[in-house]
Amino acid sequence: MTINNHTKTTRKTAPSTADNLLHINQLSVLRGMVLVIRNLSHQQNAGDICCLTGPNGAGKSTLLRTIAGRLPAAAGDISCAVPIIYVGHTDGLSGAISGRKNLAGWAKINGFSTTETAIDTALSSFATKRFADLPVRVLSRGQRRRLAIARLALAPADSLWLLDEPNAGLDQASSRILDDIVQKHATAGGMVLAATHLDFAAAAKPRSLHLPGLVT
Amino acid sequence: MKPFFAQIERDLLIAWQNRQDLGVMLVFFVIIIALFPLAIGANATVLDPLGVPVIWIAALLAILAGFDRLFAQDVRDGWLDQIALSQLGLGWYALAKAVSHWLTAGLPLLIMTPLMAMMLNIPLQQWPPLLVALLIGSMGLTLLGVIGAALAEGARRGTALMALLILPLAVPLLIFGTLASQSDRGIISPHLMLLGAVFALLLALAPLVAASALEIGETETGL
Repeated sequence: MTINNHTKTTRKTAPSTADNLLHINQLSVLRGMVLVIRNLSHQQNAGDICCLTGPNGAGKSTLLRTIAGRLPAAAGDISCAVPIIYVGHTDGLSGAISGRKNLAGWAKINGFSTTETAIDTALSSFATKRFADLPVRVLSRGQRRRLAIARLALAPADSLWLLDEPNAGLDQASSRILDDIVQKHATAGGMVLAATHLDFAAAAKPRSLHLPGLVT
Repeated sequence: MKPFFAQIERDLLIAWQNRQDLGVMLVFFVIIIALFPLAIGANATVLDPLGVPVIWIAALLAILAGFDRLFAQDVRDGWLDQIALSQLGLGWYALAKAVSHWLTAGLPLLIMTPLMAMMLNIPLQQWPPLLVALLIGSMGLTLLGVIGAALAEGARRGTALMALLILPLAVPLLIFGTLASQSDRGIISPHLMLLGAVFALLLALAPLVAASALEIGETETGL
């Protein structure tokens, strides 16, 4: 189905090492002329939640985009044995159509379940049903974020979630629901790597991966 | 094929929400055609042979004018990130974009064309070759536009660059298209076959070129 999917990083379907589902080995990433990530190694397994921390510009988004295959690695390799779901700074929603249609379209291009019940369950996973039929352009920043995260419920249970500042724009109550969603995903055997602050999903005692930023 | 049609369905839903754009494009098409006789003057011997070329130039400009922001909204929304990770892939995505853009721009233009042909007093027996040539030509122009839009997206320079890149490449389509439209040897003329060959080449190349352009654009200028 894919004509042209040049993913520069090797993303093997089966993990080469024992049972780490996500395996990053000696990864370096260049942005322009700057080496943003240098020799980073990281492993993650089913049920792991990991918080990616570090100052602005330390390469948190760059790392997530590299794992997602959206940026090439300058050196090193990444292998991930499970489907990758990425929620970036942008929500991936079209303003012109409703949240429900956005979610259904996303499920279809990914080949996930698109039954009415599956979409409804996903929408209610983050209490978005009340505004799911409005065009996304009239929604607030936080509401769009909730739709983008509600989308994750459509993905397979074992997938790796890459979340870039998932709490951005969310109020406190919504942040707590997000913690719940993330913990449930981990309990069901999924993995989460989130660029966020440390009290994210605190009850699940997430691991932390710190990017120090440029050392001068 | 399901993800491919899902992308077309999504684009058509969005196009329906922005349907005033379609009206603008059609009015643009009509205005260009109406301006030619005004500039040339009311001389039937000069105007008569100009009918078909005028329709072709108006169609070319109207189709390519709609392309500048083809991928921009998807990049801004982050939809392109989701596409790149999905089963669809950037190549099929570009092709789906071409199909939906043709359905929302090329097809309405084609439906308007008989009306314009009547306005320009093009003889009835010329209509079938004109419409068939314009059908293939508009699809070829759409594929060219997809290449241009993808390149412009990577370069972040927008419309001006796209016009410079794409208009020269549209020359073969324009030449074979106008010749095929004015053929007096029926619909299937040698010019139509050459037009079809150019279209087939574009159909094979455009998705690949567009996918590479979108991929490179991301690496060089993305977040």
